[in-house]
Amino acid sequence: MEEKYLSRHFGIDKAYNLDVYEQQGGYSTLPKAFAMDTDAIIAEMKKSNLRGRGGAGFPTGVKWGFMPRDSDVEKYLVVNADEGEPGTFKDRMIMELDPHRLIEGCVMTAWALGLRTGYIFVRGELQLAIRRLEVAIKQAYEKGYLGKNVLGKGLDFDLYVHSSAGAYICGEETGLIEGLEGKPGQPRMKPPFPAIVGVFNKPTLVNNVETIAAVPFILEHGGEHWASMGIERNGGPKLYGLSGHINKPGVYEAPSGITVRELLERFGGGMREGSDLKAFIPGGSSCAVLLPESLDAQMGFETLREAGSSMGTGCITFMDQTTCMVRLSARLAHFYHHESCGQCTPCREGTGWAYKVLNAIEAGQGTPDDLALIQDMITGIAGNTICAHGDSLVIPVRSYIEKFGQEFEDHVQNKRCPFPRWRKMRNTQRMSA
Amino acid sequence: MPVLTINGTEVEVDRGTTLLKAAAVAGYEVPHFCYHPALSSPANCRMCLVEVEGAPKLMPGCYNQVNDGMIVHTESDRVKRARKAVLEFILVNHPVDCPICDKAGECKLQDYYFAYDAQESRMRAEKQHKVKVYPIGPRVVYDGERCILCTRCIRFCEEITGTGELTLADRGDKAEVRTFPGQDLDNDYSLCTVDVCPVGALTSRDFRFKRRVWLLTSTDSVCTGCEMGCNIHLDHFRNTTERYRPRYNPAVNDYWMCDDGRLSYKALNEGRLEHPMLNGAQATWHTIAGAAASKLAAVIEKNGASSVGFVISPQATSEDLFLAKMFAETAIGEGVRLFINGNDPGSSDELLIRADKNPNRAGARLVFGGLDGVGDASALADALEAGELEAVYMMGTELGAARGRVEAGLDDVGLFVLQAAHQGGVLLDAAHVALPAATHAEKRGTFVNCDAVVQTVDQAYPPNADALPDWQIFMKVAGAMGHKLPFTFLRQIQDRMFEASEAPEPEETATEEAPAPAE
Ligand SMILES: Cc1cc2nc3c(=O)[nH]c(=O)nc-3n(C[C@H](O)[C@H](O)[C@H](O)COP(=O)(O)O)c2cc1C
Ligand code: SF4
Ligand code: SF4
Ligand code: FES
Repeated sequence: MEEKYLSRHFGIDKAYNLDVYEQQGGYSTLPKAFAMDTDAIIAEMKKSNLRGRGGAGFPTGVKWGFMPRDSDVEKYLVVNADEGEPGTFKDRMIMELDPHRLIEGCVMTAWALGLRTGYIFVRGELQLAIRRLEVAIKQAYEKGYLGKNVLGKGLDFDLYVHSSAGAYICGEETGLIEGLEGKPGQPRMKPPFPAIVGVFNKPTLVNNVETIAAVPFILEHGGEHWASMGIERNGGPKLYGLSGHINKPGVYEAPSGITVRELLERFGGGMREGSDLKAFIPGGSSCAVLLPESLDAQMGFETLREAGSSMGTGCITFMDQTTCMVRLSARLAHFYHHESCGQCTPCREGTGWAYKVLNAIEAGQGTPDDLALIQDMITGIAGNTICAHGDSLVIPVRSYIEKFGQEFEDHVQNKRCPFPRWRKMRNTQRMSA
Repeated sequence: MPVLTINGTEVEVDRGTTLLKAAAVAGYEVPHFCYHPALSSPANCRMCLVEVEGAPKLMPGCYNQVNDGMIVHTESDRVKRARKAVLEFILVNHPVDCPICDKAGECKLQDYYFAYDAQESRMRAEKQHKVKVYPIGPRVVYDGERCILCTRCIRFCEEITGTGELTLADRGDKAEVRTFPGQDLDNDYSLCTVDVCPVGALTSRDFRFKRRVWLLTSTDSVCTGCEMGCNIHLDHFRNTTERYRPRYNPAVNDYWMCDDGRLSYKALNEGRLEHPMLNGAQATWHTIAGAAASKLAAVIEKNGASSVGFVISPQATSEDLFLAKMFAETAIGEGVRLFINGNDPGSSDELLIRADKNPNRAGARLVFGGLDGVGDASALADALEAGELEAVYMMGTELGAARGRVEAGLDDVGLFVLQAAHQGGVLLDAAHVALPAATHAEKRGTFVNCDAVVQTVDQAYPPNADALPDWQIFMKVAGAMGHKLPFTFLRQIQDRMFEASEAPEPEETATEEAPAPAE
């Protein structure tokens, strides 16, 4: 068994309590981090090849380098814990089982970049995570890991948990910032990027939970060590959330660059009995779907792009032959329609229209023109919106039509869904679960 | 300054200029809904997407700024496809109820549809339904289904009035414009939201269902609600004014006007004095001028010019006031007691609303060389009560709080000549001679606003019934008294007036350095 980093404490009883966390060596790297200056820390982060774990995979060290260095401006840390992408459920594990890891990462980040205030913006539905974080933050304040003059090193750093109202679009970093400011979660135009104009119009670093949770390890063992547990340009272990028609759904830690096949077989326990892999989504619902022939693709941002999809959040959904791709795409369109902030025309109107057409096809009411209509329509959304939410619908739907076009045509021709009644299936699954 | 190429035309513009504005300089109109030249750019409608060579995505022209050497296309196939897609998306849930929509004919969505989309709907499913008639404020009605969620109205209330009553409620295609709880869209400029609304989502309760806009004729004019003199489009139908809309003038009112001023158009149509009246009986101009002249001459002869109170109006144009001055000097003569009536001062604000509720006090000041010693309406009432006046010759019917006292005092004078566009209630009853005057919609003239901007009103339609412009009435009466005032055309008056006073001549139209993109 490889050494565990991110999930090291997941099996340890009450690791979310400060004393247990400290017994395990938690917060012991802080003095080492505090002995490093900004340049040295950013250099280690760059060396680590850590890529943002929120989905876009931006190199974390590079992003940190964008933060202004002046010490007299207020600068903010925002931890993106809004985890709402269908199929993605890794950040909540960190927050629920190892909240101090995230807090320690926040303190180090604050030290590195001179940030005085941090917000952990947590998806409202994750009540346990919110409670655990709140308790952990209180404990950290009591022990002097947070607050004024942390460890006597002159760092003043306050950290708050902000419970989001539970809108997917508040995971988009500028929608998040608007939400944090108390406004409707409507993404901002970029540029300017948050590193220049962020929360309360001040420079703001936005990083995903898993990204920040990796910081203590990187500073403890060095960037090179982290990079060694991965492939080119994709460093370090990460948490993979496996779901779908597999034997052992769950969150597993493995290096970057591991193949999908190995994740499925070694960690996910393979497909369920009687299930054949039909397709998988490698990184959350907004990624293009892949066929079994891509099982040997490595989990990395470039490698998965070559395979025709993207790494996203690294949470993989495996689907067997009972999955109706039309229904899946209709369901996704429903989600992206429901979650569209409504600001910009193509996403606001296009997602709903796409849902209506896809739903009609699934219900056997599609016309032969509908497939061309859908493709034409999503082309009108693609790239024409304020934030990436619109594309999050375009990319998957396009891939379903491209890879499973026949299924769509069958629906139209036979005027019904050829798959077993999904309602019945879902109910039986629920009962057996 | 960055130089860039737009559709093959090279233009040089200031750093920080948006692509949309640069395109306007190059002579290309980029269609837009959410962009308004006076408001911030949220870039939400995506109608203004343009192609920049080398950029992977189309860019919203209202947001992205020029760079040196950029090559921009606003009419490429890719841009046209995107425009068409955006229009189709907007129409997915749009009710297309143009036949009953007040905006039809001046709706951006209609115009752009014909220009850039013009295809049949491919949307077969049931549309999203929303609120149809929502009284969002006392003067404005909101239709959620027509709303394209451009947020112009919201930004107007945030950025121009600073009142911030509006917000978007709900999200996605369920989103609607709403007021914050407990609030109404009831600021002093709320009807400007109807102007900025690119579609028929916000309509004026006053104008709703009154007239198809293509039947209206529009004349450039000036609001007479206060001394700001906001520039307006005076929209009229068959010699009746049906609405005011603000007309862009960066030196005065930008794109805006206040609600009170906007609704003041009603006075143009109501309570008008239609015919010359002699002792309560209808007369003709021929007989009335002679009657007025002989009555006035008799008073002057008997009691001297100092027994005549001559009341000018700050509601009148400078030209009319210039003739009033000549009339007072020549026909009445030295010693005449001058007064100025007008509406009482009211509320004011930082934006446009000024306390002096008369459009041309500054003009009166210029024409009369200052108004020192010219009494107001209450001084007129004092003089009447003291029995100092044998005759009163009054322009206009605006008397403010002194109205009651003036009316009572007028009962006792031997001669009251009323020269006004309106009957003024009891005033007409008291008048021995009543001379019907034209409103500012019915003549040409100039007003001088509080910032000394000289502004022209154009004639929208001929004077109502027997009415005449004040300057012509003065010439008639003076002529009947044997004083020929030497004017035939307004221009001649203006030449003399600008010579005589320090008033600068009006600028023809508001000019700007660069061509401004459409509203
Ligand atoms: C529609 C949408 C939803 C998103 N939701 C999340 C989210 O729930 N959590 C997250 O960390 N990033 C999310 N992101 C990505 C963030 O915008 C941002 O890239 C990320 O938080 C940056 O952190 P990282 O560099 O550590 O990945 C979302 C992006 C989009 C466009
Ligand atoms: S793309 Fe969708 S979610 Fe993003 S700003 Fe536009 S409407 Fe909102
Ligand atoms: S009401 Fe009009 S101005 Fe306001 S958001 Fe809707 S379309 Fe835009
Ligand atoms: S996005 Fe530019 S005008 Fe609306």
